[in-house]
Amino acid sequence: MTSLPRTTPARLPVFLAILVLLSGGCAAHPAAVHEPVSATGPEVSSLAAVGGDPFALEEEFTAGATEPVSDPLIGYNRLMTQVNDKIYFWLLKPVAQGYRAVVPEGARLAVGRFFRNLLMPVRFANNLLQLKPKRAGTELARFLVNTTVGVLGFGDPAANRFGLQAYPEDFGQTLGHYGVGSGFHLVLPLLGPSNLRDTLGLIPDYFLDPVSYIEETDVQLAVRAYDRVNYTSLHIGEYESLKKDAVDLYTFLRDGYEQRRNKQIEE
Amino acid sequence: MQFLLTGILCLCLAVTPALAGDLDEVRDLLKGKVDKVVVLLQDKTLDKVHRNERILDIVSPIFDYQTMAKLSLGSKYWPGLGQAKQLEFSELFIKRLQASYLDKLDLYTDEEILYGEPQAQGKTVHMPTTMVSRDSRIGMLYKFYRAAQGWKIYDVEIGGVSVIQTYRSQFDGVLSEGTIDDLLGKLKSEGSFALPAPVDTGSRPGAQ
Repeated sequence: MTSLPRTTPARLPVFLAILVLLSGGCAAHPAAVHEPVSATGPEVSSLAAVGGDPFALEEEFTAGATEPVSDPLIGYNRLMTQVNDKIYFWLLKPVAQGYRAVVPEGARLAVGRFFRNLLMPVRFANNLLQLKPKRAGTELARFLVNTTVGVLGFGDPAANRFGLQAYPEDFGQTLGHYGVGSGFHLVLPLLGPSNLRDTLGLIPDYFLDPVSYIEETDVQLAVRAYDRVNYTSLHIGEYESLKKDAVDLYTFLRDGYEQRRNKQIEE
Repeated sequence: MQFLLTGILCLCLAVTPALAGDLDEVRDLLKGKVDKVVVLLQDKTLDKVHRNERILDIVSPIFDYQTMAKLSLGSKYWPGLGQAKQLEFSELFIKRLQASYLDKLDLYTDEEILYGEPQAQGKTVHMPTTMVSRDSRIGMLYKFYRAAQGWKIYDVEIGGVSVIQTYRSQFDGVLSEGTIDDLLGKLKSEGSFALPAPVDTGSRPGAQ
């Protein structure tokens, strides 16, 4: 069902814990078999043993998977986070709001599905590279159904009628799957939080993205920008809400990104 | 009769896997609370302030705010604070946590919530759920432990990101370069959950 995680020995128990969690967390395959979690440390019989000491629960937050993020470029990263923040509030959000006011939600959702359907080669190839043939097959089936019955991917009958959910994978995850560490954290212009591994991963994924084969550069950029505006129009308020949570926005986004990627790699 | 019931109970215990009762209990507990919150969210006639108060009344019994406050600072910093600062920190943190939770609920539209299988994780039980929205599926994992008063949430993971873990990183970042007063200042001023004025509790001589 799920293949082996990166196996840095100190991280293994935590990763196994995450793995078991995720196998239960994905409603797309409710019939998944849940292995007992003997590898995660304390025996199950000590379930009620936390007692009055809250720090008895602390172990999971201090374990290997949560070691500090490598961040030699912190100065640049903080600056770029501010730049991206301004780009969002001054440019992307107003444009997306205007677009949202004109285009009905149903159409914007359909456009979003169209663009995601186009990215099938990225998901298919990376599922294969991670030796997840079943998931790759699901991706292929989704593409065939959605491109035909779903009219060029504007609909998602594969999920709605056949219960086939997408399995997003990218090359950064593939590298992580084979044990490549995240390297240092890197905030990319426009794209936001990333790290060395995931940034390098963008290169092969670029060549698997059909939009990259639009020859006129300005048209290609316009298509990408439109995809982004359309996506943003469906998610206005989310970044704002995250930002409110942050005591230190940069650290918050950085650690959130690295945590999320670690989880995705384990899936 | 009692004998018969005891017999049936023993039989059940013998055939069900260990802790299945605990796991079901956690799931039912969470589902019961979330269902009530969703009913309130779907009722668009409710005044928001009133609605939010009712939501907090519903969920607060299953959140262990104090433990969350302690874990977010960690054993590295918490014990050394002294009682006055501990109180002040807890109060600011809990207010922020609640405000953040209520703020997220404003993003709720018509999401369906799917309940996964609860998992025993050592001393704790993890209850995975999935929020199915218009164009995405987001995993939300509720982590419970058994307190004296029953099962309590000590952390929530949203899309694989632990709320407590992100607070720990941020607080550690502030405290490794500054003091607890810097952190308390930031908790009061940073983000939109900043408090406009010191909260009067009458019990904190150390507060402004």
